[in-house]
Amino acid sequence: MRYRLGAVAVAAVAAWLLPYGLGSYAIHIVDIAIIFALLAMGLGLAMGIAGQINLAQVAFFGVSAYAVAILTAKSGFGFWPAAVIAILITVAVGLLVGVPALRMQSHYLGIVTLGLALAFTNWVTNAELSGGAEGLSGIPVPPMFGIDLFSEYLYYYLEIVVFAVALVFGLFVVRTPIGRRMRAMRDDPLAAGAVGVEIPQLRMLAFAIASVYGGLAGVLYAGLIRYVAPETFSLANMFLLLAMVIIGGRQSLYGCVVGAVGLTLVREALVEFATFAQLAFGAIVVLMVVFAPTGLAGIPARIRQVATRGRSTLARAQLQPFDSTSHMVSSPAADAPVLLEIQDVTMRFRGLTALSGVSLTVREGEIHGIVGPNGSGKTTLFNVISGIYRATAGRVVLDSTVVSRKRPYELSLLGVARTFQNLRLFSTLTVRENVLVSLDRTRTRWAWRYALWPIGVWRADVGLRARADAILAQFGLAEFADAIPSALPYGIQRRVEIARAMGGLPKVLLLDEPAAGLNAGEVDQLAQIVRAIRGGGVTVVIIEHNMGLVMSLCEQITVLANGAIIAAGTPAQVVADPAVIEAYLGDASIMDDIPIPSPTEVAG
Amino acid sequence: MQLFFQTIVGGLSLGAIYALVALGFSLVYRTMGLVNFAHAGVVMIGAHVATAFSLVAKLPFALAMVVAIAITGGVGLVIERVLRPLENKDFDLMLIGTIGFGTVLEALAILIWGATGTAVASPVRTAPLEVLGIRIRTYDLVVLAVAAAATVLLVLFLQKTKRGAAMQAVAMDHEAATAVGIHVGRSNAIAFAIGAGLAALAGGLVGPLLYVSPAMGGTLGIKGFAGAIMGGFGSIPGAILGGLAIGVLDAFAAGHFQGYSELVTFLVFTLIIMVRPTGVFGERTVSRA
Repeated sequence: MRYRLGAVAVAAVAAWLLPYGLGSYAIHIVDIAIIFALLAMGLGLAMGIAGQINLAQVAFFGVSAYAVAILTAKSGFGFWPAAVIAILITVAVGLLVGVPALRMQSHYLGIVTLGLALAFTNWVTNAELSGGAEGLSGIPVPPMFGIDLFSEYLYYYLEIVVFAVALVFGLFVVRTPIGRRMRAMRDDPLAAGAVGVEIPQLRMLAFAIASVYGGLAGVLYAGLIRYVAPETFSLANMFLLLAMVIIGGRQSLYGCVVGAVGLTLVREALVEFATFAQLAFGAIVVLMVVFAPTGLAGIPARIRQVATRGRSTLARAQLQPFDSTSHMVSSPAADAPVLLEIQDVTMRFRGLTALSGVSLTVREGEIHGIVGPNGSGKTTLFNVISGIYRATAGRVVLDSTVVSRKRPYELSLLGVARTFQNLRLFSTLTVRENVLVSLDRTRTRWAWRYALWPIGVWRADVGLRARADAILAQFGLAEFADAIPSALPYGIQRRVEIARAMGGLPKVLLLDEPAAGLNAGEVDQLAQIVRAIRGGGVTVVIIEHNMGLVMSLCEQITVLANGAIIAAGTPAQVVADPAVIEAYLGDASIMDDIPIPSPTEVAG
Repeated sequence: MQLFFQTIVGGLSLGAIYALVALGFSLVYRTMGLVNFAHAGVVMIGAHVATAFSLVAKLPFALAMVVAIAITGGVGLVIERVLRPLENKDFDLMLIGTIGFGTVLEALAILIWGATGTAVASPVRTAPLEVLGIRIRTYDLVVLAVAAAATVLLVLFLQKTKRGAAMQAVAMDHEAATAVGIHVGRSNAIAFAIGAGLAALAGGLVGPLLYVSPAMGGTLGIKGFAGAIMGGFGSIPGAILGGLAIGVLDAFAAGHFQGYSELVTFLVFTLIIMVRPTGVFGERTVSRA
């Protein structure tokens, strides 16, 4: 901590002294670099942190700069009122551009945001309001309590203050609940939804944050240059910005800043050799992407990784036994209230019927097994219950509320938690953060606190961390809290996923083949964990192929084959059912055609 | 009504060019999972090579085109080798990596051919045809016919030849394709070379319609990509339909909104893609949050 305070103090003094050593052109370049750094942070937050491809960041910048220009030069507003309105307009535009993100991602979102950015430059180049291709001049120097911001040296201090606030705010967002949920969403949107991350709101918020940074940059640009023209907001500059973020390291705000400042300086240095600079610049981008995909910001971590290879502290960490001190509850009474009811659910994918008319009832406090051959529709059923698929017909009722049209995050908030057949942990979050994401039940609308009451956010986060550590300790994972999941053995990752699912304090836990890939000892521990979870009052539904486990664990078993229920009941009833034997061992009727030597003949 | 059909006819020839560009995007994407933004640069290189052979080397237009396709296809093999580390990477990296490579291509074109660009005369000098009161430029017919022929050849190649079937297999499941003994690397290289050849064809054909310069790739690439997305990314019929649709949309936007045509085109494109995120023929990559 003292070390970090020292670093901040050194950076502050260096920023204070910098203009004294620079000529008038150099300070201009630095002022431009800071504006690009703001833009890059906004893009980094949207793309690197929240995973939303936003090729309209330079257009946000343009909307804000043009709004300031039009409001001051044409409508006679003062600079600062115009600046506030400009940022509000930019956020509104940012939210509009973000709407397609609700429906599409990846390259689809890329081309749509790019198209909208082109639409913006097309508009400003043609409209009379924005001065057409010549652009608009006549933006006043921002007034500032008698400080003459016409001087680019003094303007630098205004910029550096805005920049510092924006950087600290960005870092704060990344490390607290909203940023953590955004990173979870980036790593695995499906799993994030399943642990209660409000994906649609968070995507919109990512665009809103990016547009605030774009808006700030636009205001500062308008005040610095006092002239706007379409080519500043062209595609070429969008790609330059993109290169800054990727080369610097999109998942680190420091990286974005380094990339922005670095490339601005390089571009200036090579301004006289434009073609060769373009060639070198393109080549460097390709090389960086291939050899250092995490950017400059990722290089220290990679060096550390190489340096400490084989001497990892993880190697000595031990998986502790699960702490099952909670009181044990035996099987629920036969008349326990119904918690989860699947009513006549059918699921079709184009021509394929994965589930047809499936109905089942799970009582509170029950451990309910679902078995069936591969491809019988078990995981599809889980996907319907947890909202990932919307059933073609039929209803899912949880706690006497119909939930079949709800989204995964809504179901998670209602108390449905699940694990996945092929582990879906958030791959760049630590084990503790994985649990924190599900533990954190603050909602996106809580985001106002970030602007008005950040101390409250910080306190809440400290509280969450303590609770996460308690859960990790209970699951015997305390020593792995700071590890990245992929560095852990498979069995431990499985346990982390269950711990994460339990973080949301669910009413019902859906386990999709939790014993797959576990050794015998681990399977015994799993049985103990599942019983303890039920002991804590949580209903468990479990898909499993390990029949020994299912038979010993479950009170009720449902057997699926070809998308339909072929048997249901207690373990004893189910194993005796001819239909089950047929599904597992083959068609018994075939046996009729095979001549079986009759005992009498043999005797005769 | 006459104006309506006139606009459609006008839009179709550029639409056919967008369709060829979109085909290149889709073919490369479905085979190797690479969203290749350098494709715009390849179109530009193809246009320059074709122009160089027809204007400087004085070859007949058709022959210049064939040479350009062959040369650009060869260049495509080299590019594929360079971009191979980006295949199936996460989209951010592919995006900036291939854009970076496109920048390199553009800089190379400036170094070789200069930044100013050349106007190319139409190789067909007959007067426009009049059909039911609609004027049709003969060169537009040539463009449509060549694009249609190229598409038919591509589909025949994919469906009737062993090599084409292997590429289809790689597109469906490259691991399973490896398991049955298909050389995935070679299949990818061929897909890329064909994509580059289509780009050269598009670039060569568009020369007489637009203006051949190192900066020409941008708009062609973006509209071609939009066409591919609109038809359903990775789908061959989707690329054709999407490309033609973007061309016609563009023609209507230019007819009714003049300077604001790009604004209108992309707003309409956004609305269409909002309604059908997977395009007309569909690709299931859209997440339901």
